[in-house]
Amino acid sequence: MKRRQFIQKSALASSVFLVPDFVRAFEAIPKEVSAFKKLVVIQLSGGNDGLNTIIPYENDLYYKSRPNLAIAKSEVLKAGNDLGFNKHLRGLKNLYDKGYLTVINNVGYPNPDRSHFRSTDIWHTASDANEYLNTGWLGRYVEEYGKNPYNGIEVDDSLSVIMKGEKLNGIATKNPALLNRNMASPYFSKVLDEQTDVHLSEHNLGYLYKTMIEAKSSAKYLHETTKTYASRTTYPNNPFGKQLQSTAQFINSGVDTKVYYVSMGGFDTHVNQENRQRRLHETYSEALETFVTDLEKNDTFKDTLILTFSEFGRRVQQNAAKGTDHGTANNVFVVGKNLKKPGFFNEAPDLLNLDSNGDLIYSVDFREVYATILDKWLAVDDEVVLNKSFSKLNFLS
Amino acid sequence: MNPQEIKHLYWRAGFGITPKALSSLEGITRSEVVTELFEKSQKVEPLKMDLSAFEVLKQTRARKMMEDKKYRELAQKGRQMVKHLNYAWLERMAVSESILREKMTLFWANVFVCKDNAIYHILPYHNLLREHALGNFGDFVKAIAKAPAMSKYLNNRQNRKAKPNENFARELMELFTLGVGNYTEQDIKESARAFTGWSFNRNGNFLLRAGQHDDGEKTFMGETGNWDGDDIIDIILKQKQCARYICTKVYTYFINPEIDTERVEALTDFFYQDYNIERLMRHVFEADWFYEIKNIGSKIKSPIELMVGINKVVPVTFQKKKQLLFLQRMMGQVLLDPPNVAGWKGNRSWIDSNTLMFRMNLPSALLANAVIEFSEKGEFEASFEEYYKAEKTKRRFLKTEVDWKFFEDNYVISFKDDKGTLSRNAKDVLKKRLQNHILQARLDKDTERLLGNLEATTTQALCIQLMSLPEYQMC
Repeated sequence: MKRRQFIQKSALASSVFLVPDFVRAFEAIPKEVSAFKKLVVIQLSGGNDGLNTIIPYENDLYYKSRPNLAIAKSEVLKAGNDLGFNKHLRGLKNLYDKGYLTVINNVGYPNPDRSHFRSTDIWHTASDANEYLNTGWLGRYVEEYGKNPYNGIEVDDSLSVIMKGEKLNGIATKNPALLNRNMASPYFSKVLDEQTDVHLSEHNLGYLYKTMIEAKSSAKYLHETTKTYASRTTYPNNPFGKQLQSTAQFINSGVDTKVYYVSMGGFDTHVNQENRQRRLHETYSEALETFVTDLEKNDTFKDTLILTFSEFGRRVQQNAAKGTDHGTANNVFVVGKNLKKPGFFNEAPDLLNLDSNGDLIYSVDFREVYATILDKWLAVDDEVVLNKSFSKLNFLS
Repeated sequence: MNPQEIKHLYWRAGFGITPKALSSLEGITRSEVVTELFEKSQKVEPLKMDLSAFEVLKQTRARKMMEDKKYRELAQKGRQMVKHLNYAWLERMAVSESILREKMTLFWANVFVCKDNAIYHILPYHNLLREHALGNFGDFVKAIAKAPAMSKYLNNRQNRKAKPNENFARELMELFTLGVGNYTEQDIKESARAFTGWSFNRNGNFLLRAGQHDDGEKTFMGETGNWDGDDIIDIILKQKQCARYICTKVYTYFINPEIDTERVEALTDFFYQDYNIERLMRHVFEADWFYEIKNIGSKIKSPIELMVGINKVVPVTFQKKKQLLFLQRMMGQVLLDPPNVAGWKGNRSWIDSNTLMFRMNLPSALLANAVIEFSEKGEFEASFEEYYKAEKTKRRFLKTEVDWKFFEDNYVISFKDDKGTLSRNAKDVLKKRLQNHILQARLDKDTERLLGNLEATTTQALCIQLMSLPEYQMC
């Protein structure tokens, strides 16, 4: 049942069912662990340099454009005919070797924006470059096909637009115990204990009470569902590793969450890119591989798809500070067990035909990637979530 | 005017009012109260900052000779000063006597949305909002269109005859004056041509680059002529939709987030006559319907309204000003840092599970040294270590100085006897009065019962409890 229908149907019923102890009624918690599909979206925030990530090592233009930054052919972890992985992405390459990775090249959108803020906004809301939305594609998914905030989790302390819907939002937490402690303070419990259903009106105040109840019950649900689960996998000891460890904790304990969002920062490499990107790549790739191993051990990898993107790639030409500036199209990574086309999904970047800024021209709209995932993986109507129709790609069966 | 009406007026035209200030207005006619509100907002007092360090950027030679390192330092200083402008603006809203002008400035900042890291451009822009806040809307739009910060933000300075950039022209119509669907793509193309060559010089003054301006004939909204940008704005103002678009924004911001189409239409007729903002607002605040029960306490406070409002009850000074930014980030509204040119949607979009709990915990964190266990996100430009830096301070106390004496003087004192103590009877009266004063939303019987059962050992604790209720999120 879609959420709207759910509300319509329950609107009449609520005054009957929820009196007088409506709070507890809202906290009725589904216990069964089902093997539904989960999606984890990772953003490499700041704009990962895709050309030094997946390296076109047979392309002279690449070496000409980057006299100090290009990765020597001998250093590349070769994969396809003309593409290979940065050697600091050993973990990602391992996933590739197992057939768990699809790399989609040249993903972007028309009239690209080179501002972190705006381009992140566009990727999060799935809007056109000149369109402004205040809901995100994962938030709209939760709103249409979920019924609780915990159906979508941002593994952080505050919620990004990607997880926001119009009337129902996802929830942000990287530590359910802490979230629960804050949501269930004695004072707030007292406030809710005194309430009957009169506050659950359509007005703004009713909306606040409803949000408060949902927040409290979501926090309680997440805490109680996850607290008995203990991970047996050791993650790299850094904040990103911890974020993925929390994500695995949610997934493996059977939390009824369908979409996750994790942001990893640090990719804005304008200056001395080589050292910075090396550490970033190692951090990302080690944690990701550990995450997949952890899920495999718990038999949840088969139900999990992991999408990694950046708000943009970087300029083909290196800059004067041994770094790279904001660019446009970039590669995205899809990690999962049953990929239809593991390996490289499409052609390598065209370094000859660049736009007037010297940036890559996209060939795959990022919303085609979203549409494909919504349609084929989450099995919902992608047009409802994306507000538009996009053609599907052939990377999932 | 009765207390409820005065409070309503002061919450919408400002950020609330103290019982002490309210008592001086009781019994005066509405017209007099409103007149005083406007009188206090007549004067325009720009926010001032010392920009002398940036003078060098105006001198072509000196600028060219400047080392890269020095230039980067200057840019960094500029970004730092934008943060200080953020703090100064917050403080201004909390202390200014021109409460209406300040509220209008906040309102317009979310209509003519703009962002710039260069303090020497964003400060004048910010003051431009304050200057025109109660002026003529047409003059306002024309000034905005010529401001360097806007020219940069929406790429108007890259708008040249040979290669028009439509960004400003599009947002001018979509977001600043008409709303989506009230113009054609052809209108955008033609008006973009009229704005070609609009730029600014090193001193931050408007500059028409004649060589890049398209002098040809343009047909815009059915009118043909050799239009320039000002002509385009004049033609836009002729559209009644422009008055309707602004009146809709005024209605949802100042009156009720639920639109009453008939009222908006009546306001539109009124505003369309002369586009005089002050006249429009006076009309609103003097109308009987503005004070209808359904409008009172119907709006969800923005994070800034919440923070400034708390400050009007108990003034709080931050030892670490950066914590002001942290609070704004956690609640989703950072002054001078809008999410995009469409601005903040407001009302319910402020609220999700995380922000609501944060907002309800805010009074304890500000006033009672309660710990905050959540950290903000890092910035895009940050390194990996910087990005996650905030995580290390897992338990965060706000370092504040709390002026409880102000609260005592303005909220409590009138209930005390000569010896400065509260009789038991006075305590009950005070509790009732405080809850009526601090909470704008109508209390239903559940909340009344809760309040009746609340055990607050001190007046200060009671104050914090009241401000921690969902009802306090409304104004």
